[in-house]
Amino acid sequence: MDKQTEYVLRAIEERDIRFVRLWFTDVLGSLKSVAIAPAELESAFSEGIGFDGSAIEGFTRVTESDMVAMPDPATFQMLPWRGSQQGVARMFCDIKLPDGSPSYADTRQVLKRALDKAAKMGFTFYTHPEIEFFLFKGEREDGKPPTPSDNAGFFDHTPQGADNDFRRAAITTLEQMGISVEFSHHEGAPGQQEIDLRYADALTTADNIMTFRLVMKEVALQQGLYASFMPKPFREHPGSGMHTHMSLFEGDANAFYEAGARYQLSKTGRSFIAGILAHAPEITAVTNQWVNSYKRLFGGGEAPSHVCWGHNNRSALVRVPMYKPDKAQSTRIEYRAFDSAVNPYLAFAVTLSAGLKGIEEGYELPAEAEDDVWSLTDAERRAMGIATLPSSLNEALSIMEKSELVAESLGEHVFDFFLRNKRAEWNDYRQQVSEWEYKKYLLH
Amino acid sequence: MTRDVGLGTKLIQCGVFDLGKTQELLNSKALTAAQLDQILQLASIAADADLVIAKFVANLSWLELPAEQLKRLALLVGASIALGELVEKRSELLTALISTAPTNRDLLVADFISTVENKTGERARSALKQRYQGQLVSIAARDLIAEIDFNAISTELSWLADAVLAAALQIASSENPDQANKVELAVIAMGKTGGNELNYISDVDVIFIGKPVGDTAEEVAMAAGAKLASSLINICSEPTIDGVIWPVDAALRPEGKAGPLVRSVSSYLGYYQRWAETWEFQALLKARCSAGDQELAAEFLTAVTPLVWQAVAKPNFVENARKMRIRVEENISSKEQGRQLKLGRGGLRDIEFAVQLLQLVHGRADQEVRSGNTLAALAALAAGGYVGRKDAEALHQNYVWLRTLEHRLQLRKMQRTHVLPENEFELRVIGRSIGLRQDSASELNRSWEQVANQVRDLHEKLFYRPLLDAVAVLPSESVRLSEAEAEVRLQALGYLDAQAALRHIQALTTGSQRRAAIQRTLLPVLLHWWSTGPNPDKSLLAFRRISEALGDSPWFLSSLRDDAQVAERVAKVTSASEFLVNMLLRAPETLAMLADNAELIPISVEVLNEEAAAIISRHTADPQRAVGALRAMRRRELVRIATGAVLEILDVDQIGAAITTVNKVVLNSTLIVVQEKVAAEISKPVPTDFAMIAMGRFGGAELGFGSDLDLIFVHRPHDGVAETEATPIATKIAAEIRSLLMAPHPDPAIEIDADLRPEGKKGALVRTLDSYQSYYDRWSISWESQALLRADYAAGDKKLAADFLEVINPLRWPNNGMPEAEIREVRLLKARMEAERLPKGADPALHLKLGKGGLSDVEWVAQLIQLRFAGAHAALQKTSTIETLQAAVELAIITQADAAVLMDAWRMSTKIRNAITLSLGKNSDSIPIDQQDLRNVAFLLGYATDSANLMVEQYLRTARRSREVFERLFYDS
Repeated sequence: MDKQTEYVLRAIEERDIRFVRLWFTDVLGSLKSVAIAPAELESAFSEGIGFDGSAIEGFTRVTESDMVAMPDPATFQMLPWRGSQQGVARMFCDIKLPDGSPSYADTRQVLKRALDKAAKMGFTFYTHPEIEFFLFKGEREDGKPPTPSDNAGFFDHTPQGADNDFRRAAITTLEQMGISVEFSHHEGAPGQQEIDLRYADALTTADNIMTFRLVMKEVALQQGLYASFMPKPFREHPGSGMHTHMSLFEGDANAFYEAGARYQLSKTGRSFIAGILAHAPEITAVTNQWVNSYKRLFGGGEAPSHVCWGHNNRSALVRVPMYKPDKAQSTRIEYRAFDSAVNPYLAFAVTLSAGLKGIEEGYELPAEAEDDVWSLTDAERRAMGIATLPSSLNEALSIMEKSELVAESLGEHVFDFFLRNKRAEWNDYRQQVSEWEYKKYLLH
Repeated sequence: MTRDVGLGTKLIQCGVFDLGKTQELLNSKALTAAQLDQILQLASIAADADLVIAKFVANLSWLELPAEQLKRLALLVGASIALGELVEKRSELLTALISTAPTNRDLLVADFISTVENKTGERARSALKQRYQGQLVSIAARDLIAEIDFNAISTELSWLADAVLAAALQIASSENPDQANKVELAVIAMGKTGGNELNYISDVDVIFIGKPVGDTAEEVAMAAGAKLASSLINICSEPTIDGVIWPVDAALRPEGKAGPLVRSVSSYLGYYQRWAETWEFQALLKARCSAGDQELAAEFLTAVTPLVWQAVAKPNFVENARKMRIRVEENISSKEQGRQLKLGRGGLRDIEFAVQLLQLVHGRADQEVRSGNTLAALAALAAGGYVGRKDAEALHQNYVWLRTLEHRLQLRKMQRTHVLPENEFELRVIGRSIGLRQDSASELNRSWEQVANQVRDLHEKLFYRPLLDAVAVLPSESVRLSEAEAEVRLQALGYLDAQAALRHIQALTTGSQRRAAIQRTLLPVLLHWWSTGPNPDKSLLAFRRISEALGDSPWFLSSLRDDAQVAERVAKVTSASEFLVNMLLRAPETLAMLADNAELIPISVEVLNEEAAAIISRHTADPQRAVGALRAMRRRELVRIATGAVLEILDVDQIGAAITTVNKVVLNSTLIVVQEKVAAEISKPVPTDFAMIAMGRFGGAELGFGSDLDLIFVHRPHDGVAETEATPIATKIAAEIRSLLMAPHPDPAIEIDADLRPEGKKGALVRTLDSYQSYYDRWSISWESQALLRADYAAGDKKLAADFLEVINPLRWPNNGMPEAEIREVRLLKARMEAERLPKGADPALHLKLGKGGLSDVEWVAQLIQLRFAGAHAALQKTSTIETLQAAVELAIITQADAAVLMDAWRMSTKIRNAITLSLGKNSDSIPIDQQDLRNVAFLLGYATDSANLMVEQYLRTARRSREVFERLFYDS
């Protein structure tokens, strides 16, 4: 028995824990949970907890319908909002088959495979997300536009603002769960918040993002609000992105750093960016998976809809942040397309695969975009060789469908399920008649 | 000059490698003849003669040493560069060469402690290291002159480790008196030190036990103990001017490197009771007191030893043992594979692991087999009857040989290595050092290979042979495994239903003497092979059934006995193929094919025809027997082809062609039989020509093991014979053929499907050529043209068949290509079929025939190309899917890349379909959903038992690519 497992079993004994929630994520990024009694935990560690996978979105693969959730003891945390007496703890699970081999339907496994590939090339992948979301008043009503919790703007400090209380409570809860917060502030739109997590290896970050979303919802409820990670709730305000900083390490050394290179960005770093840019249209369906995601990407503001990179250029898809002297370890790039309603496991996996492909094949980095790409004309962008991301879920799916890179990194099962599910979503959306259409066409 | 020639010969005789260099050296020194003779004499007994000459020339004063000492010095210098240099540097070590063995361990330990008594710091460390080196030289000298054997050497090396640890603890205590006053410390030796079987150079594995002195608090005492322990580790492991002794490794402690260095007995106990894994108990097998407080050590050992033996009772012990076995087998795929004495196949690890596993299985009930020493344990296992005495003896010898070789390798540079050198000179030196004097380099390679092979064989026998004895009617001289013991062991080896397995083993090893004797020899190997497959229990049962069906057939027994390949193939067939097992049970004699690769190549159509003709002539009077014999011939050929498929001798294209050929021969001969029968009934020659046309996969020569035969029957009345007279006769012929081929018979039936004829099931079973002509002229529809694409001669009148094909050629290969409107219909039909034809509940992704990117998609692409372009291009006038696609590439109708994707998918689907039939013994067009079935199918295709889902993933990938090409080429182009 390894030390971590021992630690968990001991903690359960000592901390009066009544339930252990085993978490995993379906293909679309929703958190799933099964609760077990502490007494069952030891056998859960050795044999897993069996369940019928065909009941879970995206796990419907007949050959694998008997599945086993194997808790990962390294992810053990108490759920602070359930109190410390008769408490509840959680662990993330890997989904396996009864014979112990990993399930191809498990999105955590998808990311692990991509990380394994990076490890074989000698890299560890670190990410650090800036997560934006909205706080709304009252209760969510189906089909009704929400009411923001406040009317403040970017970095506004609202006196006695509910948002301050919220952020304080939220951050405290996150830290109790071992998730370090780097930064938090009010974002540009009314009710919009941003909380930045500290950088960690990509698997931990993805687990943290899943936890984060739940914590935000729990804390908001405690304050009579509700939190939403919908990519673009308001036409007139910016949407909720999840800009993510990424870096590769070789052992203890940052592989993106090269002293004296332009922006101190190594060949590895440049090829990684080139890989992401070259494959960006293919991975967009995964990084921006909802119909609504494209309203954020193409709704103006700072949304990065053009495939280019720049140094501190806030309109670029990939940004190379300002290098701080003596901070070789913090050399990194920022990918700005993700939105907050992404499945982080899949999104990290495809983005990493694209970057690694760039390194493997030695892609050359195209010229840097120095202008505000939004202010250029279409013809100017074409002349500069700047492509545009797919402008709808439908277009993104058509591009993804032809991508060997995405198929290989997701695995055939997830790839196929994802395409089918998203096509269905698009077809459903296409049949809707919107308020805008009534305004526009009822006169005819 | 004459002197030079004489010297060269002498040098060769005494084993010098680099003549030029050594001659030059000797010529440059003014040696007396006596000195030269003496040096050459010394060189000739040493391993590295070159080095001995060089060193003695440089240290001529050595020659004045007494003879015995001189001889030992030469052996030492010749075997160990490192120790030679040490002695050269520190002449006081010369006396160590002739020192005698320590009388016992305690004296040695006391001697070491007194060496460092009242010393601290550099002085103490230096004294300890020098004393250690002296003892090492003494052991090496006695080892090389063969005064002591392997057992004594490794025991003494372990005592030496105890002595060093005790002295190091003494130094640590003197340097940290405050800590030493708070805690009693015991050092427990683990690993090779614990087993009293240490190498010259090795990590010394230990764990530390602490006990508070007086009323010191436990945490304080353990912290003090940790200080002493880490100081002890440093003293042994840190390099100083006098070198390093050896690294002390405490990683076997609970929680490994992350755990506390020192624990109390109760803390250890708590850990082992609750958390320890199987390997940790295995490590405890070798625990013994090495240094420090003996009472404390004894307390620890008394407390934990029972736990080791309870480990066997843990519910997942069997599973753990199985995993351990697999891990050990996987570990050895290293780069140094063939040259690794320790981890390589047939190396030391194989022996040690086998002994330990057997100890864990049987040590619970039998205290006698619990020794921590590999050789002692092996002897005890043999004495207790758990392994064969002869096997144990052979293994003992091989183990000693390997360990001695390892010692020599390590002595050379005093480095921890287990890899045989590749360099010829080094190999030669090592060879000479273990007494191989002639051609020592290649002799060493040969011996190593021999030993490794023996160890590998013995390994299997060790596990399995006693199982046979356990169920023997006449108990053998030594082995007395009880049935319960045998069952535990079988389970540990992967046989889930151990009781049944034992019964099978019993049945196989009793009965006729000759068979039982041969199977007794063979079963250990077979049982091992089966245990690496997906279903050991089932494989054993299958073998038993085949063996019983074969009885005492002499060739079977002798080929099993004499030909290792046959045995391995029998194991593979019984592990992998239910289809073959069923066939073999019907006619076990066909198993003889396994003995000869030439037998597994499909037989040519000419030879098959000759045999069929002979069968017919033997049974002229009895159509049923004639066709029965033809079916038996077909079954035999299917076994041949299936065996070729299972053993991966045939590829998927060859398999399809071979099955097709056999069926054509059988049809043709059956027709002859039936025609004769009908002629006899109507008392005149049959008045009409008769032919069978192959359709579908049969026409394409793409049959699988379970395929039906798609056929069309055609006849042509002889001149002057009325159709009304001929057609009933022809219809009778067709019906007779079907009924004879499907009649109940021990050999598999041939299912004939004639539904592709005009008007399908409603149409006449047989038509005249003219009737076909007029039907196709007037009525034919596009799907029929498409079906006709695969029409080819199957059997019967060749001229008639050729005329039939002439009739349909304009239909299937229209001159200007199929009209656009009809092509649209073909596309539409395919689109509808996709929606409708899939069986209920089938997963379209996993359906090999009708699923996305599967067989049907590829075939329709090829057929659409033919309907459009085959009229204009004779190269496209083929019945085979693969050949059509290849021709289309050559005509630049499709790209090479697209064709490659389609052919990959077609071949992979076909391969999996064949594998399903072969492994599960039933036909299915879907990749199995059941995990056990899936594992079986994947195993047959060469996937490891835990990566069956990789096969699914790879199929889905291939099929996705094929679907993309299909959609582009079929619907869009």
